[in-house]
Amino acid sequence: MIRVRDLKVYFPLRRGLLRELAGRAALWVRAVDGVSFDVKRGEVFCLVGESGCGKTTTGKAILRLVEATEGDVFFEIPTEEYRRYEELRSRGAPDAAARIDAIRRKYSFSWKEQLAWDTQQILTWLGAVAAAFVLGLGPPAFAAAVIPGALVDTGFIIGASLLCGLLIGVIASLPPTRPSTRTPAGLALLSILAFNLLPIVAATGWPATLPNAPSDALGIWARVWGSASFAMLLGVIIAPAAAGGASKILLGRRRETEGLLGIKMRTLRRRLHLIFQDPYESLNPKQSVFEIVSEPLVVNRIAHDPEEIAALVSRSLEDAGLRPAEEFVLRFPHELSGGQRQRVSIAAALALEPDFIVADEPVSMLDVSIRTEILQLMMDLREKRGLTYLFITHDLSLAWILADRLAVMYLGKIVEQGTAEQVISHPKHPYTKALISVVPSPDPRHLAKRTILKGERPDAVNIPSGCRFHPRCPVAFEKCGWSADEVAEELRSLSAGGLLPEIAGIQAQDAGTVAIVMMPGMSPGSAAANLRRVVSENRDSRLALKGIADIRENGDAIHVTLEAWAEPALVELEPGNAVACHLVTRPAEAVPTVTA
Amino acid sequence: MHAVDGVSFDLDEGEALGLAGESGCGKTTTALALMRLLPYNGKIISGSIVFRGRDLVKASDMRIRKIRWKEISIIFQGAMNSLNPVRNIGQQIAEPIILHEKVEEDEAMKRVGELLELVGINRDRRRDFPHEFSGGMRQRVMIAMALACNPKLVIADEPVTALDVMIQAQILELLERLRKELHLSMILISHDLSVMAETCEKVAIMYGGKMMEVGKTVDVFTDPKHPYTQGLVAAFPDIRGQRTMPASIPGDVPSLINPPTGCVFHPRCKFAFDRCIAAEPALADVTPGRRAACFLYPEVSEVPPRTITMEVH
Repeated sequence: MIRVRDLKVYFPLRRGLLRELAGRAALWVRAVDGVSFDVKRGEVFCLVGESGCGKTTTGKAILRLVEATEGDVFFEIPTEEYRRYEELRSRGAPDAAARIDAIRRKYSFSWKEQLAWDTQQILTWLGAVAAAFVLGLGPPAFAAAVIPGALVDTGFIIGASLLCGLLIGVIASLPPTRPSTRTPAGLALLSILAFNLLPIVAATGWPATLPNAPSDALGIWARVWGSASFAMLLGVIIAPAAAGGASKILLGRRRETEGLLGIKMRTLRRRLHLIFQDPYESLNPKQSVFEIVSEPLVVNRIAHDPEEIAALVSRSLEDAGLRPAEEFVLRFPHELSGGQRQRVSIAAALALEPDFIVADEPVSMLDVSIRTEILQLMMDLREKRGLTYLFITHDLSLAWILADRLAVMYLGKIVEQGTAEQVISHPKHPYTKALISVVPSPDPRHLAKRTILKGERPDAVNIPSGCRFHPRCPVAFEKCGWSADEVAEELRSLSAGGLLPEIAGIQAQDAGTVAIVMMPGMSPGSAAANLRRVVSENRDSRLALKGIADIRENGDAIHVTLEAWAEPALVELEPGNAVACHLVTRPAEAVPTVTA
Repeated sequence: MHAVDGVSFDLDEGEALGLAGESGCGKTTTALALMRLLPYNGKIISGSIVFRGRDLVKASDMRIRKIRWKEISIIFQGAMNSLNPVRNIGQQIAEPIILHEKVEEDEAMKRVGELLELVGINRDRRRDFPHEFSGGMRQRVMIAMALACNPKLVIADEPVTALDVMIQAQILELLERLRKELHLSMILISHDLSVMAETCEKVAIMYGGKMMEVGKTVDVFTDPKHPYTQGLVAAFPDIRGQRTMPASIPGDVPSLINPPTGCVFHPRCKFAFDRCIAAEPALADVTPGRRAACFLYPEVSEVPPRTITMEVH
């Protein structure tokens, strides 16, 4: 029903103005970083993971509540079309890109028309310049027409200055359309210079040639300069908003008509719905239950007749287990218990008779004794209305009970995927194994040996190289993607422990080498031999040392070369069961790839 | 409103007791009463809290102030909100040390360093502010703060709620280790039974402000006697058990303003009979070492009807 392919959602990190002008590479929070899975009709698919692993963002990207950066979300794509899409992607025929786009345009939620850079630029500029002209020339012309003679001598200069200001503001404020282009510092400088120079030139040149120029040229010069600079400043300030608005309208118009957007998306959206985590926050406290449940019906123009709406609302409420519905319709959220509120959320989601529901932690805020009732209700509705659920949860024991199939996510990627039996009873990825081992069990007889991972989830801005789990992985080995920094850090801590007396400094040189500087008077040969011994002794307790491939003397220094690595791909081991781990799948071709 | 009504339990030195129940059952109120920290409109009407031979209910405010944090400390629910955002964590941990041990700030800071190492935080981070720590780390700071004055009893109020499972496991392991190393007694409050199963020797189940069942954790969870405990244990999904939908307890948690007559649980209990509506069961030994408040067991007697007169301010 839903096929997600290579979905990526990146959020730009805001930076200061100075850094922006300095033009450093943009930083991204890679919330979802290449996720692919299918949800079949009528099944419960669970996305499991710790907080910050990107499960909620994935759910929202599927419903287009956040914009996907890359990748596709197909909704009800016919099998043969999908097969063609996969074929085109893997083979790379000459016109593949255009043919893929044709398929994506028809079925993918996340498809956006990728205009050629120049087309997009022209559209943006057209809008911006038009806005600048209207704003810059309109008011002075209007003033000149209404008050004859008022602005004869200075009006044109002021108008021109305003126009200049607007154009400069527009240029400076245009968004960089290519990710690599940055607002150049020169442009900002130019606008400041022009801001002062242009009025001077205009004011000194014009008054003398104007008819009926008064003799007091200096006074006029000062007056004109003052008002012209003010007009220009005004222009620079208004321009960004005007340009942004105008170009957005132009670009937006083009996009609205393309793909699954605009009206087409609105009709599709009725079939997709979301149940939020916190029933205390997701219901509007000022709306009665009736208003909450009937709102989607009214907005989507499903029903107009008040009686029809009332009938649909009470049907949804009764389906959600609020019986009799009359008792609840006039209540406000604060008059309901937690369980009842979540039932109202479910009723509101059901009102449009959706096919697909993203349930984001629907029971995690509820007390245990009422949790099961809500889950039971959701499962009953699946039977009764043929619903499909994407169930997002951090609780593996819930996933164990509900999921037909599930995917475990870590830092924006799926590490393991399969049926509940495959993933939970026979986990293969070290992260899944550790996660399952720490899930507490209410039965003290089921005590298991726990694998408690060290440390915390890394930042989604600086994702570790290679397998993103390797710094916390208890069984990480050579090919997992140890970076020079990690190895240098580990060597430094060995050195601080006094194990490497000959070494003065350890420095990560480039991605694949660590350079070691000797103490004065020490021979690199014996130091290298000692280093080799220490490394081989400590390899099993300090896993980062496993990343060392070779230790070699190089003049006065020692060069430590690291193992080549590749990011593990999600490989299908058995039908339906896929794992992304080098230990489980065969180590991929050892080609160093840089993803960061 | 009777938030907590007739709760009794014993805790030996070095023992951990779990206080479990759903939201609004009076767990936190019990903990606050133990430290005499109830809000201004809350009052201990009757009963006693005997801590190392001394009744805390009768103790003077001065006395309590000396015991609080020095002998009994608490890890509050929600580490996010319990730390002062405008002071660095070193100052916050040092505060009770300076107040109780009457030491200079330098010495207190030295102790702060030790405490941070004890809970697994680098001592150089003592000048950092709460927002620079992750949720799990903040919880560790809270634990360090609770241990600041070498208390005998630590009350942990939902110490792992709102943390990820992996961080939960790290914090529970830390608490377990500290309890053994420092011979602490601990009261662990949680709505999550599965957290208790792995950390506490004894567990007390509360419902509607009353105690339903007390006993050894293993016994209570494997062979629950009270129908509420039975329902609660069955309601938890078990990842190592069968793949079946857990059982549920129909109905909602009772309002404490208008509690049901008789046994508070009777409106949701499938075994309820006439006596449950008419009279309130008292906590009694149903098997050796296990106490439950349910008329299904012949040992259980009725609570004599009480009238409480109270001045309303």
